[in-house]
Amino acid sequence: MSTTANAMFEHGPATPRVYATATGELFDRALILRYMAAASFWLVFAPTVGAIVALKFNYYDFLGHISWLTWGRLRPVHVMGVVFGGFSTAVIGLTYYIVPRLCGVPMYKERWGHHIFWMWNVGLAVGFISLALGYNSGIEAGEFPLWVSIPVEIVLCMLTIQVLGTVKNRTEQRLYVTLWYLTAAYIWTALNYAFGHFILPYSMPGVNNAAMHGLYIHYVVGLWITPAGLGVAYYFLPLAAKRPLYSHKLSLVGFWALAFFYPFVGTHHYIYSPIPYWTQTIAIVASMMLIIPVWTVVANFYGTFVGAWKQFQDSFPAKFIIIGALYYFIGCFQGSTEALREMQRLTHFTDFVIGHSHLTVFGTFVIWATAGMYWVTPRLAGRELYSKNCAQWHYWLTVVGFSIMAFDLTIQGLMQGTMLQAGADFVDSMSAMKPYWFVRSLAGITMDIGAALGFWNLYMTIKHGKLIPVPPGAPANYLPEPKWS
Amino acid sequence: MSDKDSHSESITRYEGPGIEERHGIVPTWLAIVYAVMFVWMVWYTIVFWTDKG
Repeated sequence: MSTTANAMFEHGPATPRVYATATGELFDRALILRYMAAASFWLVFAPTVGAIVALKFNYYDFLGHISWLTWGRLRPVHVMGVVFGGFSTAVIGLTYYIVPRLCGVPMYKERWGHHIFWMWNVGLAVGFISLALGYNSGIEAGEFPLWVSIPVEIVLCMLTIQVLGTVKNRTEQRLYVTLWYLTAAYIWTALNYAFGHFILPYSMPGVNNAAMHGLYIHYVVGLWITPAGLGVAYYFLPLAAKRPLYSHKLSLVGFWALAFFYPFVGTHHYIYSPIPYWTQTIAIVASMMLIIPVWTVVANFYGTFVGAWKQFQDSFPAKFIIIGALYYFIGCFQGSTEALREMQRLTHFTDFVIGHSHLTVFGTFVIWATAGMYWVTPRLAGRELYSKNCAQWHYWLTVVGFSIMAFDLTIQGLMQGTMLQAGADFVDSMSAMKPYWFVRSLAGITMDIGAALGFWNLYMTIKHGKLIPVPPGAPANYLPEPKWS
Repeated sequence: MSDKDSHSESITRYEGPGIEERHGIVPTWLAIVYAVMFVWMVWYTIVFWTDKG
């Protein structure tokens, strides 16, 4: 191992900037650890804002006299914070680890990495402050104002160039499924983000704008969060299970089915609207057909773990991947069936939809990104996980808190929908939801405490975890095998 | 073991990350799900193309 790489192990990320090519390593440890730390911060910040937003359902005046802490200002901070702050920051950091390892070459234009890190995180911080101050483009999940959207778009384009350049320069002939998902996710998102932020708010008035907004918001979910999250999960799945991936063939079917059906899903939020009936039908059919990629992925994940369930006990990445796959199955089946006209009639304008979005975005993809963070952080820091107990608390508080939240939102949505269909007054239906909202808030706070413990633990791992000795003569790309991760 | 079986059981190793993957199969139950979903897609699209369906 090179002297510089040894220095990284001994001193952690505080070591001055180390470029991969300078150390003979494929990736830049300091950069990736910095991303893990930033993602940890956003993954505590954004859900905490969500808990405040949730409390306002029961306590209407809670922080309501301060304009930038009102519900309408904080809700977009929560949504954009989880999607772009927590999840995306983790995925970008993991991309800098995964792509060079799968391609066998350092990241293309790797010096861009540190510039991108600062542009991305400062851009996000300015974006959240802007949203709190009331500057909002009005496009859900695309709410950053123009002065934030421009640097974010530049970052997405730079990342896309880096990933494509690395894939082009690769020495490994075969493309593992993770590379398909990540490459596609970056290309689709660089295009979709420009569409949602630079075209949609300034053109297409009226119902056309609503239809296109449906496409944009679902492209964020289906062409960014889903493929990026799946790419990360597919990478760590066989490593965490310590077994070969169950089926290359299934991974092909899953990828192409997602790429084919997801682009048509968007207008399923506008069933019974003035949008043409046949357009709604296509969206419903495409939503239901997503059962194919979802069941395919779940079959592949659980097939890989058959015979390796001990890993579920011993490895935190394995725990998070498996529970994420369960939420993926439930959340996506819910999402497909709620597009059906009869289900829309029952669930639209209720918290059933919010339950679904939490099951997929947080329950699945944030949890899979968390699995990646648990895998990468101790290895790159060259240290043991700081506290196994903290990680256990993180896992179980997340599972218990989140399961209660998802179940609660689903039940209350069905209940409210049934009340409204029976002709109940809307205000009465709201009053009946109060106990459920309270439970949702408590469940959310439980998750937040778990996340705070978990990400503090990862930070402490980088700073003060027990150093793992490096064997003499270890190669430059040597990574230790920490316990529990 | 037939050629087909040995092909589906063949394992590819990605040296960089140390990941292995089986060529694998599509399980029969999943192939049935694909077929049912395809038939449903055709039926639903034809019947509900317009609100006169």
